[in-house]
Amino acid sequence: MKKSCIAMLLAGGQGSRLYALTQSVAKPSVPFGGKYRIIDFPLSNCANSGIDTVGVLTQYKPLQLNSYIGTGQPWDLDVSDGGVYILPPYLGAHEQGSWFTGTANAIYQNIAFIENYDPENVLILSGDHIYKMDYAKMLKEHIEKGAAATIAVLQVSMEEATRFGIMNLGEDGYVCQFEEKPKQPKSDLASMGIYIFNWKKLRKYLIEDEADPKSSKDFGKNIIPNMLNNGEKLWPYRFDGYWRDVGTITSLWDANMDMLSTTLINLYDPSWPIGSRSPVCPPTFAGEKSEIIHSIVTEGCDINGHVENSVLSPSVVVGEGAKVVYSVLMPGAVVEPGAVVEYAIIGENCHIGKNAHVGTAPDGSEGWGVATCGPDVAIRDGAKVPAGAMIYNGEEV
Amino acid sequence: MRDYHGIIFAYHDEPALRELVAVRTAASLPFCGRYRLIDFALSSLRNAGILNVGVIMQRDYQSLLDHIGSGKPWDMSRAKGGLKMLPPFGVPQYHTGNYNGTVEALNAVGSYVRSIPQENIILMLGNLCANLDLRAAIQQHEKSGAEATAICADHELETSHNRYILDKDGMVQQIALYRTGNDHEGVPTLEGYIFKKDVLLKLLDDCQAKNLHRFHQDAMTLFLTRGGRMGVYIHPGYAKIVRSVDEYYDASKDMLNPEIRRQLFPADRPVRTKEHEGVSTYYGEHAVARNSLVADNCIIEGEVENCTIFSGVKIGAGAKLKNCIVMRGTVIGEGVQLTNVIVDKDCVFSDGTVLTGSEKLPMLVPKWTKI
Repeated sequence: MKKSCIAMLLAGGQGSRLYALTQSVAKPSVPFGGKYRIIDFPLSNCANSGIDTVGVLTQYKPLQLNSYIGTGQPWDLDVSDGGVYILPPYLGAHEQGSWFTGTANAIYQNIAFIENYDPENVLILSGDHIYKMDYAKMLKEHIEKGAAATIAVLQVSMEEATRFGIMNLGEDGYVCQFEEKPKQPKSDLASMGIYIFNWKKLRKYLIEDEADPKSSKDFGKNIIPNMLNNGEKLWPYRFDGYWRDVGTITSLWDANMDMLSTTLINLYDPSWPIGSRSPVCPPTFAGEKSEIIHSIVTEGCDINGHVENSVLSPSVVVGEGAKVVYSVLMPGAVVEPGAVVEYAIIGENCHIGKNAHVGTAPDGSEGWGVATCGPDVAIRDGAKVPAGAMIYNGEEV
Repeated sequence: MRDYHGIIFAYHDEPALRELVAVRTAASLPFCGRYRLIDFALSSLRNAGILNVGVIMQRDYQSLLDHIGSGKPWDMSRAKGGLKMLPPFGVPQYHTGNYNGTVEALNAVGSYVRSIPQENIILMLGNLCANLDLRAAIQQHEKSGAEATAICADHELETSHNRYILDKDGMVQQIALYRTGNDHEGVPTLEGYIFKKDVLLKLLDDCQAKNLHRFHQDAMTLFLTRGGRMGVYIHPGYAKIVRSVDEYYDASKDMLNPEIRRQLFPADRPVRTKEHEGVSTYYGEHAVARNSLVADNCIIEGEVENCTIFSGVKIGAGAKLKNCIVMRGTVIGEGVQLTNVIVDKDCVFSDGTVLTGSEKLPMLVPKWTKI
């Protein structure tokens, strides 16, 4: 079965900068935006772009991710001549094989999977970005420009440019130089970590890179520079929509707050549905004393308190007199009566005891930050969790 | 539960449901913000591990077909067996008109019923709002050694029901047709039955030979007068058969009661339904939601009180809804005031519309209405 393009989704990252939230799950399966998990965005983008074959590369705490993706049915990726495949690292005969040692190595180890589909091109995605993007448009440009690789780029401010991989363009519009986090950026075009490669070319570079003992087996550090050095044509695909990396607590909280504004990213647009696998639960019940203001709330919640500027996943309980402000509550979180949760991320199935107080509003002090409780954390009645705190499961608070 | 086969009656169009059944049957009536009534029967079977199920339908079944699809939400899309939709087939006389009764409905799909490989058949109403623990019912049925077991309510039902009068051993002695139960004789049936297959098939044959069509009046009366042994399983908890607008409106109000929701939606026996892709619901700066059920995919800018709001509903700023049911995809403009109104799917209310029904007689706004 020959395919024009298949996608490989790098979901093996540890997500160490999400700390307690990724203590027991891989970053792509962290809940996001009420109804979703982070991986819903790239998977839905694939399905909406007509890419029906997706390999998901996992290695870090993949259990929840595996069961979440399942047959791929929520994203209409359960098709008979493609579909979504979980690709863990594996050992071959004579114990050949290893953990994925880098992004490029992860693809290298799955050359056989890709060859099954004999694709013209391969789309490389990461599992920690929130955005809606039509990969078909990018593929079209990639083919029109006769590029060996096309890299999606986003215009950022010059200050921000120092935090990204930056593409410098030649006069012909093709990429002539790639700089990882340059101190003095020459361009404001940041790589979004989304690549389309001509498969034959990529295959050659992967094999060569694998043989190089000095390589760190990374797309940004090795494959892209090697291609540039060999004079391959690399085309920048400009994207001007909403895109956020949600790799840190602050960026995850920020992006969740963005979901409250349909002008930033409109999830209600029926032409680009974001699919998700959610448990079937009854509609949300808003009690006699509930106040829900400028917030998104998902099915199965039971709200009897005050919810404002917040994002609530399925089956969250907010007790009477409780206050939830500028916070992200993940599935099954319970906020007991009288408790206050502000500027916080509350993980799955957390329990916030009566009259407890989690997080505080920004006060301009240096140490301020979003307070975070990892999954299954229990906060005792009346306890205080300061701003910027990071509470792991098993901690006594 | 390999030895049990479910049959759900989804053909009733129940005229007292008025405009609500103009485009559907009672079984496919949207309920409680995201469900259809038939989800209760399907989920009760599924939660007891019964995955071989036939759904008897006759007319206006497009919405039912659309909802049930392959049966996947209930794990009934199987390589062997699974869910079968049963429109009238094979017997030309049934292609038009209404079934005169449940017995006729079963005989109309007789070739299917007679080819059921399982030894026992469970009959269920598609418009019963109850989360039945069929494992417990089957356990009791098997222990009793009876030929059949009737599933009955543990409380008095408001409208007329068929009732069973029991002997001192708890077996059914006689049937009391269409009683209100004011005289407290017997127990009201929820019209769910567990039958040994050969007993049911013989009963169907005998009814057909005598040209009898009705289930309780004819078949059960015949069964009991012949000395058939039937036990009852008392379903503990909420149950309501939805046959009229009143019953629908009341049942919808019942769902606002947390204790009733706990009985209908227990964590260990979830009610499953077709998944609608969608987003979480957004509540605006001035939104108010009090004592209401709100599904996903809505945008609420106005006020709702004692309401059930289905998926995909938009409620404009300044709108005030009280004691209303608003089904999927309806758009309510700014400043609209609705009191005691049931709004069917995909309606549009332009800004400032005011409609008021009475609590005893809610106003019905049919599907696709534009005001």
